[in-house]
Amino acid sequence: MANPAVRIGARGVTRRFGAVLANDAIDFSAVPGAIRGVVGGNGAGKTTLMRILQGLEQPDEGAVVLNDEPVTLADPADAFARGVGMVHQEFMLVDELTLLENLILGREPVGPGGVIDRDKALDEARRLALSAGVELDWGLKVSEAPVHVRQIVEILRLLYRGADVLILDEPTAVLAPQQVRDLLNLLRRLRDEGRTILFISHKLDEVLTVCDAITVLRAGKVVASTTPAEANAGRLAELMVGETVDFPRRVPQTRAVEAPLLSLRGVKALDSRGVERLAGIDLDLRPGEVVGIAGVSGSGQDEIVAVTTGLRRAAAGRVTIAGKDATSLSVAARRAAGLGYISADRAHEGLCLAESIAANVVAGRHRARPFARGGLLRPRTIREHARKALDRFGVIYRDCGDAARNLSGGNQQRVVIARELDRQPRALIAAQPTRGVDIAGAAFIHRQILAFAASGGAVLLVSEELEELLTLADRIVVLHRGAIVGEVAGAERSIGRIGRMMLGEAA
Amino acid sequence: MIDYVLAAAALLTTPLLLTAIGGLINRLGGIVNLGLEAMMLTGAYVALAMSSATQSWLVALLAALAAGGAVGLLFSLAVTRLEANEIVAGVGLNVATAGLIGFILKDYYHSSGTIRLPDVVMLPRIVLPGVAQIPIAGAILSGKDPLTWLSWALVPITAFVLSRTRAGLRLRAAGAAREAATALGLRPLAIRDASTIVAGALAGLAGAQLSIGVVGVFSVGMSGGRAFIALAAFYFGRNRPGLTAVGAALFGLFDAIQIYLQGRGVAPELMQMLPYIVVLVVLTAIGVGERKRRLLQGV
Repeated sequence: MANPAVRIGARGVTRRFGAVLANDAIDFSAVPGAIRGVVGGNGAGKTTLMRILQGLEQPDEGAVVLNDEPVTLADPADAFARGVGMVHQEFMLVDELTLLENLILGREPVGPGGVIDRDKALDEARRLALSAGVELDWGLKVSEAPVHVRQIVEILRLLYRGADVLILDEPTAVLAPQQVRDLLNLLRRLRDEGRTILFISHKLDEVLTVCDAITVLRAGKVVASTTPAEANAGRLAELMVGETVDFPRRVPQTRAVEAPLLSLRGVKALDSRGVERLAGIDLDLRPGEVVGIAGVSGSGQDEIVAVTTGLRRAAAGRVTIAGKDATSLSVAARRAAGLGYISADRAHEGLCLAESIAANVVAGRHRARPFARGGLLRPRTIREHARKALDRFGVIYRDCGDAARNLSGGNQQRVVIARELDRQPRALIAAQPTRGVDIAGAAFIHRQILAFAASGGAVLLVSEELEELLTLADRIVVLHRGAIVGEVAGAERSIGRIGRMMLGEAA
Repeated sequence: MIDYVLAAAALLTTPLLLTAIGGLINRLGGIVNLGLEAMMLTGAYVALAMSSATQSWLVALLAALAAGGAVGLLFSLAVTRLEANEIVAGVGLNVATAGLIGFILKDYYHSSGTIRLPDVVMLPRIVLPGVAQIPIAGAILSGKDPLTWLSWALVPITAFVLSRTRAGLRLRAAGAAREAATALGLRPLAIRDASTIVAGALAGLAGAQLSIGVVGVFSVGMSGGRAFIALAAFYFGRNRPGLTAVGAALFGLFDAIQIYLQGRGVAPELMQMLPYIVVLVVLTAIGVGERKRRLLQGV
């Protein structure tokens, strides 16, 4: 086939969900051998557009364009047959299988009797890895592989299956800065080999670094089509939000005198196979302090959160909440002692999506007055209280009796924050508090966290966004393989320094 | 005594092992099959009827295999295509099948629960000359029917197919991550259906071993909850054929012991509980271990 002008694009693509216009006459085009960035806030229509390009959804009007021709994509397999492959935000790998098995699944080289030709598969896998400039242990199970390895396998699998259009949805969200650099280099390499890449991200600096052209979406419309040469991060952010956004900044402070509100001493945790995941953590959070936790995904952040909140027992060590030994306390008792928790997994741990918004706001306090009396709930009191709390935290909702799943992701997160701060805890664990929240929502959440700290609370902030940590935290503790490898505070904080620590290098 | 118990244990293990291997394959494919009992019962009836009609144990086995597979497919379609709850569908199928077969017995054979048919050809017993006289080994190996040999041959074969072939790989993928499998162009629902057919066919063979392998009669209560014991065996085996076989053999052994002890002064009703109690004890022990592990690991 001669080189088309447009390898993949959209022509007047419109998609409605009820009264909502998720995509409103979207036009864009990506040329072969180029990386096109697609940026936009929550609800801008990125996800819907990508689903349409994948054949997962059909446009109500307009068409997907492949090789200059409008086409109808029946399903993802059809899209794939035309060379379009996607790396999803939640990886589409089978945890129980090895990396090699995942690579070949669906296109297995087989000998007589359907027996898999392992040597051939391994040769092919090694060839692909070599061409991508990486080295992998192909016998590793996915569940045991670090997150950047999983991502590389996803990309290699698309190549193995012959895709030349790669759609990457927030591919750097889970990576350390150095790994991000490696990934961006890999993308450049693939581009130089003539492939077309759609790079969906809300990290504007990365988009500006790696993309050849950028499409900005807002409220379902294309509001700009630009290039890194013409734009800068500030301008892109304005385009995405439609106004300038004020993020709070804070001057890092050090507090050493007051007694800690939350304290971990020699805390260890094991995984299912008895492997140590936390190697003796010592951490103190004092009143008014925001302490950030940085680390490559899977370095022990989840374990610190689980052991502190009581979702998992510590294998050794002591947890103290507001001066009280909480090591063997239940989750409820820890909360009663003054612990608040914003979960990274909003859909499963943060909220009960099937329950009403009001019930979610008072959940955990539903047995106590004024929400219950004599073992019976008092719905009117609950609703009234919920409405007040929801208004205070700027949640946009129709009726507080609606199921929480009817809210947008950003509003769901505000409900979580309303519930946790409304209880007036002493210490707050905030795990990925702005994940999946748009810029305006993130700024609001940042303000709430800082206000909580200013009122004398202590915050443990776990985030994959280094920018977020640098903005909010007084000091940042860096984890590597379950151990604290360093701590940076005040003026010595820099992305490069933290990034090196995250990979276990001496800073 | 030991020889007697071991010889019986080997025969009693066969239907459990066949069913457990089928259930394991089904579970890896993503379906916990609670309807295996129905497939086993169907196989038991069909095998006896066909053996009587054709005087060929081989035809009887093939018929039991096909009938079990057909019931399996029916169950699978209800679960995968009509999205029936697999627990409700499985238990419902067991009750319905027992009812239907009871009706056939009454209406066609004018029997209230047990039938003996003329000219039934039983499964042959393969006597190994030279081995038969060796104590213990002879009791375990000699004088067994072809299904017993098949059930043990299936253990390594299943392990190999699951780990080394395309079919096994796709089965594991379809069971573990349906969406991922779909995204790769596989048809996980069809794969699940296929795994249920295999499970049904093996349960059908297990039923044949009950009716034409040991006694030569059929009764409505013949399967006696064995499919649920098989279920326990493959949970015990954690998806590994070898360990699953150990679980099945453990139950078979205690079943043989209780039969042996029944004739020796202990109340038979109490003795019959023995193998089931062993299953409960073993599963409880596994559960306690799991719980300890999970508390350290988080939920």
